[in-house]
Order: sequence, then structure tokens, then C-alpha cells
Amino acid sequence: MYGGGNTFEKLKTKSVKDEDPEKLAEFEARIARGEKIEPSDWMPDLYKRQLIRMIEQHAHSEIIGALPEGTWVTRAPGFKRKLALMAKVQDEVGHGQLLYSAAETLGKSREDMIDDLISGKSKYSNIFNYPAFTWADSCFISWLVDAGAIVNQLANSKGSYGPYCRALDRICIEESFHLKYGHHCVIHMATGTPKQRQMMQEAIDRWWPPMMHFFGPSDKISAHTEILMKWKVKMASNDECRNQFLDMYVPKIWELGLTIPDPNLKKNEETRKWEYTEPDWDEFKRVINGDGPCNKERLAVRAMAEERGRWVRKALLNPKSKYVTPLA
Amino acid sequence: MKSLDPRLNRVDIYKYQQELKPKASMDQFETYEVFVRAKDGKAMQHEGIVHGPNKEMAFLFAKEQFSRRGACVDLWVALTSDLMVSPISDNEENIYDLVQLEVDDGGTTEAYEVFHLYKRGKHHQYQGSLQAKGFHDAYQNASEVFNDGKPVLNVWVIKKADLLCSTDEDRVIWSTLSEKTFRDAIAYKALDKIKKFKEEQGTGNKL
Repeated sequence: MYGGGNTFEKLKTKSVKDEDPEKLAEFEARIARGEKIEPSDWMPDLYKRQLIRMIEQHAHSEIIGALPEGTWVTRAPGFKRKLALMAKVQDEVGHGQLLYSAAETLGKSREDMIDDLISGKSKYSNIFNYPAFTWADSCFISWLVDAGAIVNQLANSKGSYGPYCRALDRICIEESFHLKYGHHCVIHMATGTPKQRQMMQEAIDRWWPPMMHFFGPSDKISAHTEILMKWKVKMASNDECRNQFLDMYVPKIWELGLTIPDPNLKKNEETRKWEYTEPDWDEFKRVINGDGPCNKERLAVRAMAEERGRWVRKALLNPKSKYVTPLA
Repeated sequence: MKSLDPRLNRVDIYKYQQELKPKASMDQFETYEVFVRAKDGKAMQHEGIVHGPNKEMAFLFAKEQFSRRGACVDLWVALTSDLMVSPISDNEENIYDLVQLEVDDGGTTEAYEVFHLYKRGKHHQYQGSLQAKGFHDAYQNASEVFNDGKPVLNVWVIKKADLLCSTDEDRVIWSTLSEKTFRDAIAYKALDKIKKFKEEQGTGNKL
């Protein structure tokens, strides 16, 4: 599960102008031909750093995203839902592992990535800083947050970096179960008793603002974003992803007789684009910078897991082992 | 705020952050390359990596990571540093034509396994086993034995003895119980429920 959003700020890196022009031309020609870049290929510094940051944030989002849902495993209604949710949460953690591996092929160690997550230096998808109050919140996440993530992931899987694309292909296959499972949970609630229906409606009311934040603010089209699009690091603008999500899922929410808490939400039939109330980007920034309802808990839980496991890893470590960068 | 997870309220989750130190360099162990055959008759191919303290544990992690839901009949793992890796060529060029290695006649003959990459973005595919006196000898032999006319972009060679491979007896680890369909997208059919719901709404029998 992943939302773009906060991944494309300017980086302090070697300027593209300082790169070897011949190598840069070859690299760009390869991407223009639709070929993928593999880890041992020459690549510009900006490409490498931006990809590390993007894939790393994606990996962190999978790991942290498992927490609000994981909380509901023991309290999911019935044995079948418990088993399914457990399988889904395990999938998400597996996706985190796949993505960390893809980022490692670019030269950042897993130790550094985990340290940067726990210290707050690296970000993860902002939506996981909100709490899952009821089972209906968990249903919302399974269906709609995953749906948003799939929109992003399908776009990114057409990108230019081989290891990231391979990881995303595998992830997208597993996500199809999540989406169907989540939809099934929401339908069950929405067509159930008046109390279940009310719970589902309240969950939608709570999660809609962070869901609109999920895709990030409108992109400022700078030279920087243009070059990342040319290099197929960024595959679609945040607004394009948001619009695609609304197009695919708003009708599915409405068909269940549920409402969306935005009186301005409607599709403009002329432009084929959705219109909506501008999300509160001040809140988005405040939460991303640490002041959300669950930021502290999410990182504390992650730190606890690392610290409690430290002695086990130490006991298992072969002192002769030596790290080399993984291959693909 | 107080956690909504009762398990977290029973421990002091915040004390660990105060004790946290940056990770030591091998905290997450070495990496192992993982190869999977998804079905009988299909080629073995590289799927990714796992971190692990030794080959046996890497195999178990690989089983969890890459062969969930029965998409596997054969699994191999090898320490990343045990592979010999050729440079990568451009698309129309065969790396065997671009890079030839000097072969030392010394050494004992043993089995090596060879993998090829045919297209960027795809997986390295298993070509087969051959006998050689060293990595260079294996590479040079592979250029003849596994040359099927298609340009090879990248070659990986590994000693058979360095691979940990599943055996026929291990196949039982992939036999999934038939009632585990809750993990499959196809098990979640809800169109009937939506249809019934819409009909009830249409007849004024609203929920």
C-alpha cells in the first residue's frame, strides 16, 4: 500500500548538468526506447537518489501500513475474516521486504533504511498516521486505501528501473486479493444491519480527507519533475492518480448507498475530470511532519520490534559474513 | 493518544526509542539470491533476494517470501557473493562475444549452474548445468553449450555445491490445504449481494 505525494521534492544531489553528457545521452536513449535500467548500468546521480528515496518510502509504507490493520487481526469478526486479514497483513510485510531489496540494489543498505525510518528521517505514506477506530475502518483501509495504492503501483510498474518493476509486478498480483477481500468486507457492512451500515458510513466520513491527501498535492511542474517524468521515475501526476481513483471507486461507493463527505464532489462530464473541495494541505503537512494522531505510536512500535529482536540477530550473526550489494 | 491496540497498552512501547542505537553494519545479515520454478515444465528463474544468517534460514525465508500460495515447485538459494556475474551488454549485443575470459587449465572439475538474462527488466533464467574447472572455464563452455542464437545480455555462474536446492521430498511444503481459499481473489464474490441490495432499494425495502 502506498501513496505518492511527498516523494518528489528537490534533492541535494549532483546536478544533471555535471553528468557525463555522452553517458547521459545513452541512458536517456535507452529509456526512450522503452528499455529498462538494470543495477549495473550507468545512471545519473539524481535518478539513483530519487529512486532510492521513492522505493524506500514505498517499503516503509508497506511495513507501517500493516500496523493499523494488524491491530484488527485479533478482533476481526469471525474466524474467516481473521485468517484473511492475517494473510493480507503478512502480504504487506512481504511487499516491504521486496521493496527494500529493490532499493538495496541501488546501494543503500537495509540497516540505513530501517534506521532512517525509525529516526523519522525517511517518510512513509501519511494515511497510516490515522487510527483505525472500528472494524469498519479496517474494511475501508483494505478496500479503498489498497485501491489507491494499486493506482500508484500500476503506474510505477511501467517505470524504467528493472528491480522496482519486477517487485511491483509480484506485488500487484497479491494486491488483487486484498482489493476483492476489502470490497467484500465493505459490501457486507453496507448491506448489513442499520448499525453496521452506520459504522461503515462513519468510517468513510473519517477516512475521506486522508484518502484525498493520499495522492499528494498537485504537482508543481518544474524542470525537476519534467526530467523525472522523462526518465520514467515519475509515471503520472498526483492529480492524474487521484482522478483515476475517483473515477474507479466513487461510483462503487455510491452504488452501496453510502455517501462521501464532500458536497462539491462530482464528475465534470465535459473535462472528464472530477471536481472536489480542495483538501486541507496544511493538515497534510502538519501530519507528515510528525503531528498526526498516530505518528509517535507507529514509530515506537517499529523501534520496539527492532530492539526486541536485536539479541536474536546478534546471536545468529556469523562474524565472518560480509555484505555485498544484491544483484537484481 | 492511548493506543487503540490493547496489546500495545500492556507494554511501555516508548522506552525502546530511548535505547535505540544506529544499526551495526551486518545487523540485517548477508543477502541470498533466490531462484524459483513456478510450475513443472517452466524454467527456473531468479526472483529476488532475502537476507539471512545462513543458507538454511535463507531457504526458509525464501519459501515464505517467494513461494506463498503454491506458485512454486522448486526453490534454490545461493549467497550473493558466491555468484560470478558478467558485465551487462546492450540489447543487440551478445555478452559472450564482447567478453571472453582466460581459462586456467588447473583446478578440479565440478558442476556449475548457468543463468542468462535476455531482456532488461525480465528475470535471469536458468540454462543448465555443466562441468568445468573454474568459473572462467564454466563461462567459456556456457557460451557454446547454451548458445541458442539469441543475444545474451548478462550471465551468472555459480558452483552447484554452493546452491541449496529443494528436493522432491520437499515438495510437500507447497501443498496447500484446499480450504485456504480465503487468500484468493476468486473466493470473494459479492455481485449477488449488491444486486439484491439494489433490488431491495428499488422496491422501497430500504435498509
